[in-house]
Amino acid sequence: MNTWKNKSILIALILTLAFSMLAACSGANKEKPAPSSTNQGSSNGGNDSGKSEGLTGDFEIQYFVGGYGDTWWKHVIGEFQKQNPNLNIKQTAGSQINDQMRPRWIQGNPPDFVYIDGAGSNEAQMVTDEQLLDLTDFLKGATNGDGEKILDIAIAGPTDYSGKNFTLPLVFGSWGTFYDKAWFKQQGWDTPTDFESFMAVSEKIKASGVSPYIHTGVYPYYINGGLVNSAIVAANGGDTSIISRMASLEEGIFKSEPVMKALNRIVQVRDAGFVDPGAIALNHTDSQMAFLQHKAAFIPNGLWLENEMSKDVPEGFEFDFIPSVMQDKGEKYVAIPYTASVAIAAKAKNQEAAKAFLEFIFTKQFAVDWAEMTGAIMNVKADLENSTAGPVVKTAMNYFNSDNLVVAPALIVNADVETALQDSIIALLDKRITPEEWGDRLEKAAAAAR
Amino acid sequence: MTAKPTSYRLRRSLFILGFILPTFILFSVITAYPMLRGLYISLFKWSGYSGNMTFIGLDNYKRMLKDDIIGTAIFNDYFLVFWKVVFILAIATFLAVALTRMSIKRTGVFRVILFFPNLISVVVIGVLWRYIYNPSDIGFLNAFLSLFTSEAVTTVWLGQTNTAMWSILAPAVWAGIGFYMILLMAAIMNIPESLYEAAGIDGASRWHQFKHITIPLIWEQMKVSIIHIVITTLNGSFIIIFLMTEGGPDNSTQVMGSYLYQIGFQQYHMGYASAIGVLILTLTLITSLILNRLLKRETIEM
Repeated sequence: MNTWKNKSILIALILTLAFSMLAACSGANKEKPAPSSTNQGSSNGGNDSGKSEGLTGDFEIQYFVGGYGDTWWKHVIGEFQKQNPNLNIKQTAGSQINDQMRPRWIQGNPPDFVYIDGAGSNEAQMVTDEQLLDLTDFLKGATNGDGEKILDIAIAGPTDYSGKNFTLPLVFGSWGTFYDKAWFKQQGWDTPTDFESFMAVSEKIKASGVSPYIHTGVYPYYINGGLVNSAIVAANGGDTSIISRMASLEEGIFKSEPVMKALNRIVQVRDAGFVDPGAIALNHTDSQMAFLQHKAAFIPNGLWLENEMSKDVPEGFEFDFIPSVMQDKGEKYVAIPYTASVAIAAKAKNQEAAKAFLEFIFTKQFAVDWAEMTGAIMNVKADLENSTAGPVVKTAMNYFNSDNLVVAPALIVNADVETALQDSIIALLDKRITPEEWGDRLEKAAAAAR
Repeated sequence: MTAKPTSYRLRRSLFILGFILPTFILFSVITAYPMLRGLYISLFKWSGYSGNMTFIGLDNYKRMLKDDIIGTAIFNDYFLVFWKVVFILAIATFLAVALTRMSIKRTGVFRVILFFPNLISVVVIGVLWRYIYNPSDIGFLNAFLSLFTSEAVTTVWLGQTNTAMWSILAPAVWAGIGFYMILLMAAIMNIPESLYEAAGIDGASRWHQFKHITIPLIWEQMKVSIIHIVITTLNGSFIIIFLMTEGGPDNSTQVMGSYLYQIGFQQYHMGYASAIGVLILTLTLITSLILNRLLKRETIEM
């Protein structure tokens, strides 16, 4: 009897303790968004005349530090501080910053300005969660310190979320097809300029015993970015609006005629045996190594490839970049960008400073600084010829500045649809499904996410 | 005389409490709270990044019933559980007996070599084995098999549905053997030599000695090993899957743990991910309870 009594007391104790903690903690993060809105006014007295006197109050910037480093950020923030000596700028940065700051975003106490990049960050999800400020009207009128309209000098416009904008791309890069120029010259293979010549040269490459096309099967977004999405835009006659329609999950878009036409081209490439059969199990290191070792001729990748592999490049290897290979003869190239954006928190306490900072950083000079400090391209049409940026970046910039290329918006979709896009392309390349079934899967995922 | 028992009982209770309370607090904070919290979150629609959580009752669990990938994941989990138990125990027992009962020289060297995989980080194991399975001629396995065939072998071990899970099983077994071998060796060395001597005099063969002396006397350790393998596999195969295939191609090597991670941290459905977590917990509990029943044998003491 006694032990029974003791046991039940102990169990009761455990339960009460556990539930009280549960209740306490769940209560804590339910509803506390109120304080943010009350502080708003105090930050800045003179809204319009603020420029000459400089901004005041606290201003917090969150930025991810990854492959691009933090030199540029320290540089521009330093300049911004000089212009606004009375502004108390706080930098919240690091490689794990997305995870570190997550509790504050959840609790409704976010920083003012955010650079969305790195693991654990997702722009579309932040928009869905209503974490970001609607910038549609602000961006239309935004001008930088040199008097240029920001949307005019940006290479890629802001991502469209059913007619609204919440973000502006800061980093601009492009997916594309890479090959070794020197090796191609030596073998007498022609650089493809359209689908027809791509198929022709692939046939030649295959005949010589080399895999024409290798990709990163474990991370299928490489081939989606480098081949599939540009094929879709090309099949739509170079009209890039189809990417926005896909991003906004328009009903039936994934079974539309241009998408099916593009997928049938992919099937053509697949059935000709041009895709390396082992690619399905390769991660980025494996596929890029195979590419560097001349086991395959083409690889879809992003502009960072040269930088990433710089330590392992064999002698005489000459990287070159083609924006797209799926367009018909005489059609324009298609650039499918990848971007990392900046945004302002919906619950920012100092929106004034955040907007001023956004306008402040989008200048041509800072874009050149970016290219030199990070080796990548900032989303501003700047002249990089005289800068110290790498050759592939310069080649790419020449493509972007030319008339023979259309720049599509970056395809930023709901994470579930993104997963479906990646799974389905692998299933298609592995002959498990047909283009129609690809369409069914995507429509199903889109319907669930809508 | 009346005061003594109460003060004695009080001191005794305090003494016991002094041991129980700190552990209990730690247990509550580190184990019980996250578990209950996960259970609680599984009733919500929550992205994991937003301040808003919407209560949706059991919808996450209903969704699980309609999700094909959950079925694949459970199947793959039990595939790994079953074959890991079979292979690890068979090989570990064999090696343990070989290194203790058969008079092999330099057992110390073998012990170290066989235990070595346990000392390597799983990340390194994953990367190493990815090289072994590499479909081109960098891959050790294909290059090795090509020695015996006229045409080069180009099997894509991790990319085909019929080979992918077996290919993941191999490093999981390889990395597991050492630990259980040591465990069983310790058990075998505890068995008094006189038992074997007596059996030998009575004319029992080595096989009979193994069957009737060794196995019954190390049964407790084998039982612990089996349950430990089952629990760690159900909870931990996530790591090896993520290193080798990330659940691909097309979700064919997904296990519950890796799918939970993908849903929670890559597709932003923390509520649904928590529901999968509850599923893992439930299945692990049920499996170990069933195993406990099945493995019940009379404990033989020396």
